Amino acid sequence: MIDENLISRLEELARLELSPEEKKALLHELQNILALVEKMEELDTTGVEPLIYINENLSALREDVIAHQVSREDALRNAPDSDGTFFKVPKVIDLK
Amino acid sequence: MSSNYETIIGLEIHVQLATHSKAFCGDDARFGGAPNTQVSAISLGHPGTLPRLNRRQVEFAARLGLALDCAINLVSTFDRKNYFYADLPKGYQITQDRQPICVGGHIKIDTAEGTKTICLHHIHMEEDAGKSMHDADPHHSLIDLNRAGVPLLEIVTEPDLRSADEVDALMSAMRQLVRYLDISDGNMEEGSMRCDCNVSVRKQGDTHLNNRCEIKNVNSMRFARRAIEYEVQRQIGIMEAGGTVKQQTLNFDPETGITTPLRSKEDAHDYRYFPEPDLPPVVITPQQLEQIRTELPPLPWALRARLRTQYALPEYDTQLLTEEKAVAQFFLALAQCTTQYKAAANLMINKILPWCQEQKVAIEQFPVAHAALASFIELIDTGQVSNSNAYQRIFPQLIEQPERTPLAIAQDLNLLQTADEDFLESIVDAVIAKNPDKVAAYRKGKKGLLGFFVGEVMRQSKGKAEPKTTNALLIKLLEKQ
Repeated sequence: MIDENLISRLEELARLELSPEEKKALLHELQNILALVEKMEELDTTGVEPLIYINENLSALREDVIAHQVSREDALRNAPDSDGTFFKVPKVIDLK
Repeated sequence: MSSNYETIIGLEIHVQLATHSKAFCGDDARFGGAPNTQVSAISLGHPGTLPRLNRRQVEFAARLGLALDCAINLVSTFDRKNYFYADLPKGYQITQDRQPICVGGHIKIDTAEGTKTICLHHIHMEEDAGKSMHDADPHHSLIDLNRAGVPLLEIVTEPDLRSADEVDALMSAMRQLVRYLDISDGNMEEGSMRCDCNVSVRKQGDTHLNNRCEIKNVNSMRFARRAIEYEVQRQIGIMEAGGTVKQQTLNFDPETGITTPLRSKEDAHDYRYFPEPDLPPVVITPQQLEQIRTELPPLPWALRARLRTQYALPEYDTQLLTEEKAVAQFFLALAQCTTQYKAAANLMINKILPWCQEQKVAIEQFPVAHAALASFIELIDTGQVSNSNAYQRIFPQLIEQPERTPLAIAQDLNLLQTADEDFLESIVDAVIAKNPDKVAAYRKGKKGLLGFFVGEVMRQSKGKAEPKTTNALLIKLLEKQ
């Protein structure tokens, strides 16, 4: 069931901040999507393997060699904040 | 009060793999590099990048799984575990949730009550997160992404452990195993092995499991022990007061010695796992698996059994000599050169291993060849040199001059024992003459004094007196009135 509580929960999990209008629109869209899925669930899929991967490719493994690293300068270039050595982020207060 | 309760513990052990590059990209996976220098577009989580799995991570996982008698899934799949944290650039960890590479399995541990089998739930492949530092800057957390994407295996046990001692024993056994398998250095201080402990308690005799608490990221055995002991008392306290333990994730603070809730909101624990669309299933062929199986090194428990049965060594020796694979290999090589297995074990335990430890030298670099060590053992065994002279004087020389034979060194130092009766008799006579009261006591029946006389002769001869002949000669002359 998609309701306002669930929307708020998803908002929090996805770290989004939605306006009341956006929430309303999203509620409507998600209800529609869920209705579609419910419709599909009417189909008897007993014995049908779930389709997870679109093609039948297998993982192409990579040899264990060091390659394609970027410099620290390049790595930090897109960071909102850094001290030239580390990425700086708002203090993550996780303990206590 | 505590004795009315049973402690139930299951572990999630994270093992950092000793690959050159990361799990899904070519960044250097080594520990300890300058911050943010072992990164790439993939480990930084830039849009449009695609992961490619490291072949060696799969091999290492299969190696560990085979060693632990797991069933190996020839097809295994990856999933995304979604959560936001600053040291996880993609916003999800690539892990294996639905179909991990290894299922089941078990390992034996040594406990005070004897050997115990700990069952495993599964082992899966995943990637590590970066590192956050919270105390370097007052207003920011600092992030180093060198570790982001380093390959991990997570070993999940069944709730089969009953004490901190058993946790200790299991972690030691796992550490030893991953080192034998050359898949990790097992170094807890550097974070190559960490564990999350799931702890619950129940009244003795109960068969149901109560709510468990997960203590995160315990990175030393000492902390694990303290965290578990604290947590057990905390939970018993709640139950004694008539309460119910809440299922939660805890952090152990080594400074205060207490556990505190790590996540403020209970419901924040929603990882929304779903199949990783960027990584198709991983397949191992039966042939590849067979290849990995044939290349497995001898495992610690197999070597211990071999040292016990084939070389008749006592338990204590087998434990010490199998601690590290290289040490066991050294013993096996030495045992090819001599039949004095117990003497070889003693030599390793009392001299060679302590020397390597003092000099901080790997046993592979021990300077003296196995054959020379075998002739060293023979010198003692055949009575050519006394045990103490061999250990205290010849051995240090042998390390200095490993190209010389122990016999030549013994000759040089004038340490070869002699059974020459004329030589011995002159010393025995002197000893008897010097100790008239002890001789009288001996003759009155204090036969235990024989040891004193033997010791005196040994001392006078500087260890060169051959003990058997000396004994016989002493008895003969002492008994002669």
